[in-house]
Amino acid sequence: MKRASCLAWIFVFMMAGNLSAFAGNLDLFEGMKGTLRIAGGTAHIPVMKEAAKRIMTFNGDIQIIIAGGGSGVGIKQVGEGLVDIGNSGRKPTDKEINKYQLKMFKWAIDGVGVVVNPGNKVKALSKAQLIDIFSGKINNWKSIGGVDKPINVYTRDKASGTRAVFWKKALDKGEITAKANFVVSNGAMKSAISSDPYAIGYVSVGYIDESVAPVALGGVVPTLENVKQGKYQIARGLYSNTKGEPSGLTKKFIDFIFSPEGQKIASEKGFIPVQ
Amino acid sequence: MKLIDRSIEKFFWIAAVLSLSITVLIFGFMVILGFPLFKGGQFFELLSQPWLPDYGTYGIYPMIVGTLSISLIGLVFAFPLSLGCSAFISVLGPKRFGRVLKKIVQMMTGIPTVIYGFVGIFLLVPIIRELFEHGSGMCILSASILLAILISPTMILFFSDSFDQVPKPFLDAVDALGGNKAQKILYVILPYSLRGVITGLILALGRAMGDTMIALMIAGNAVAIPDSVLDSTRTLTAHIALIIAADFESLEFKTLFACGIILYLFTTFITLSVRSFDLMPWRRK
Amino acid sequence: MMNRVLEKGVTGFSWICAMVLLGTVSCIVGYLLIKGLGTINITLIFGETDPMDALFFRKQVFDGLFPAILGTFALVALSVSFAIPIGLAAGIYMAEYCRGIVKRVFSLFFDILAGIPSIVVGLFGFSVAIFLHNYFSSRIYPCLLISALSLAFLVLPYLIRTTQVSLENLPEDIRRTAPALGATKLQNIFHVLIPRSLSGIASGVILSIGRCAEDTAVIMLTGVVATAGVPKSVFSNYEALPFYIYYISSQYSNKQKLLSGYGAAIILLVICGLLFAIAFFIKHRLTYHVLYKP
Repeated sequence: MKRASCLAWIFVFMMAGNLSAFAGNLDLFEGMKGTLRIAGGTAHIPVMKEAAKRIMTFNGDIQIIIAGGGSGVGIKQVGEGLVDIGNSGRKPTDKEINKYQLKMFKWAIDGVGVVVNPGNKVKALSKAQLIDIFSGKINNWKSIGGVDKPINVYTRDKASGTRAVFWKKALDKGEITAKANFVVSNGAMKSAISSDPYAIGYVSVGYIDESVAPVALGGVVPTLENVKQGKYQIARGLYSNTKGEPSGLTKKFIDFIFSPEGQKIASEKGFIPVQ
Repeated sequence: MKLIDRSIEKFFWIAAVLSLSITVLIFGFMVILGFPLFKGGQFFELLSQPWLPDYGTYGIYPMIVGTLSISLIGLVFAFPLSLGCSAFISVLGPKRFGRVLKKIVQMMTGIPTVIYGFVGIFLLVPIIRELFEHGSGMCILSASILLAILISPTMILFFSDSFDQVPKPFLDAVDALGGNKAQKILYVILPYSLRGVITGLILALGRAMGDTMIALMIAGNAVAIPDSVLDSTRTLTAHIALIIAADFESLEFKTLFACGIILYLFTTFITLSVRSFDLMPWRRK
Repeated sequence: MMNRVLEKGVTGFSWICAMVLLGTVSCIVGYLLIKGLGTINITLIFGETDPMDALFFRKQVFDGLFPAILGTFALVALSVSFAIPIGLAAGIYMAEYCRGIVKRVFSLFFDILAGIPSIVVGLFGFSVAIFLHNYFSSRIYPCLLISALSLAFLVLPYLIRTTQVSLENLPEDIRRTAPALGATKLQNIFHVLIPRSLSGIASGVILSIGRCAEDTAVIMLTGVVATAGVPKSVFSNYEALPFYIYYISSQYSNKQKLLSGYGAAIILLVICGLLFAIAFFIKHRLTYHVLYKP
């Protein structure tokens, strides 16, 4: 009899455990209240949005505000206390870390891939070709095996972490032509490339879908798999930064991102979770 | 009772002074926050240098060129269009049709700028791209066409207002001499309302230079000095919108105030020159 | 002979201009309607949330325009509630109290204020917010309140000017009657002059509302963001329709999102069009209603 009830209790506990795992890691936010402000890296936005949606659905007293701006903005704004979490698609520099006492949380790995319009025949480039295209030396698709049309280069502004990583690792800090069109985020880059048949640009690998075509660089296609295996070299971490040790809602949010559910969101949105 | 009256009248005065001080405050803020630029004499260097953030050069010369080229070319499109339309409304068109057109033009002034930009991106830009086979279609030409549509309604209404100012005896005289409508507009109305037309043109230039959304959405925002109307460019206004997020203490961010000061001074200059005609639209009866 | 050709040409040219203008407008509006009308439904506004839950703020709306529409309304209400008292008071001062050189100076400054590009006003609002954040309270950052204030600065000169002009345009005899009967200046203003010029003032107010609803440049510098939900306080960030349209135009993630941009554009167009129509209606009708139908 005793044994049976004991078993029953174990069973109940197991069920409860299962249930809470099923409900996800949202229990963290039980009874919380307040506003959480996030800004910065635009590659992070899909993950942030999905996490925010789940959290706010679970607990309507929490408001999460998400803005873009780019990695530089994220670091600066969190440092100045304008936001609670500043995202960056590059590692903050030592100077930034010291100046603002930043605490970094790297929750996913991402790559930066060259993309063209899906209608473009050019699907592979050498590094030298890429550098020449972005510096403006090669300015017609014909000379690299495409149609006889001028190349429209798209780039990001200086606050972009994607640009910083791409510039350093893909262009070897080479020049980017001043004729390049400017877009303000990874999302804007994707939509610009998908609507301009003669465009070339660079975007977070997590953003690559059927609306843009990835270009192989030195024979390696920028895919999640290739980044994961280390074959594709232009990789970077996605960071969420806080000023000092996070607390309250900020800490809960970061804990959630590192929880199985948060990491699953990261992977669903096309990034490589760290755990 | 007297006291209440007094304090209400005081409130009127305070409201006016407050509004005036905002005008001054805006300029003051720009100058104070951009002050480091003046101290080193960098301000004037900025006006002539290119924008090369990778090399630490933050000149805004390309944006000045961008602003001027988009707004002037926009005016080149908008001016004849507006002149033609207002002549149509006031004299040349059938009376009824003219009235309908005027109503439509009035409604047009209420269309949000962002909607022009939105339609421009998906309708005009692809057409320009395929038509000229040069660049992305996000260029000076596309932006100035849309800008022309944006500023035309105000210009048309302003012109047709000043056409209506022509004294009736003048027009009757033309009729009495057996002149037709075209002669009326060419030899009487246009010469008589020349000052009004010039004023309208200057006001429209101010409006064109101050617009942000069209340039930001349509012009492509490249920082090179454009060689042709099919090149992408960036205006001072779009530059402010794009760089606003930069590090507040950086030189890059400070240049925003240089842009702000230039735009402020330019539009003030326009206001002053229109006033020197004493022809601000709301002052004429 | 040359003149004949010129005259014929002028007429032809004006017809062409009229047609070009009409054609362009119908293209723009027609394109929006064709592309966007199909997207306008309850899901566009409320996403997957039940409309009743959303309207009573029981649940938040995701993937819908509801927060943006509400944000725009909150923004407009807040900014005109700042701008109207100040604008009308300053307008009354200009028309009834201010004379001579002082009046010239005041009106010069209001004209300059009216000419300042909206992005510069936005830059000012942003700088003020950062200034307050650094030196006053770290709880202040670009937010709904800052946006509303900046927009109020933007429409102030319009309000002052329409109030002033409608008062000044009143005939002298109306202006003189009440004082002759012993009314004070203020009584004259509040009981005679303002009711008489109400139509002009009201259409100025409505046009300012339209200006606040459509402006994008000011708010994108002073606190509007892409994802904020329904604003909970004036110190919070918010969403707004015009910014949503701008945001979607450059960074739609899929076809569905892009279509919602068309829907948002139509909604904004309808809101602004309605405001405009009301302003016209009032200009023609309000005087009649106020004066003859008590």
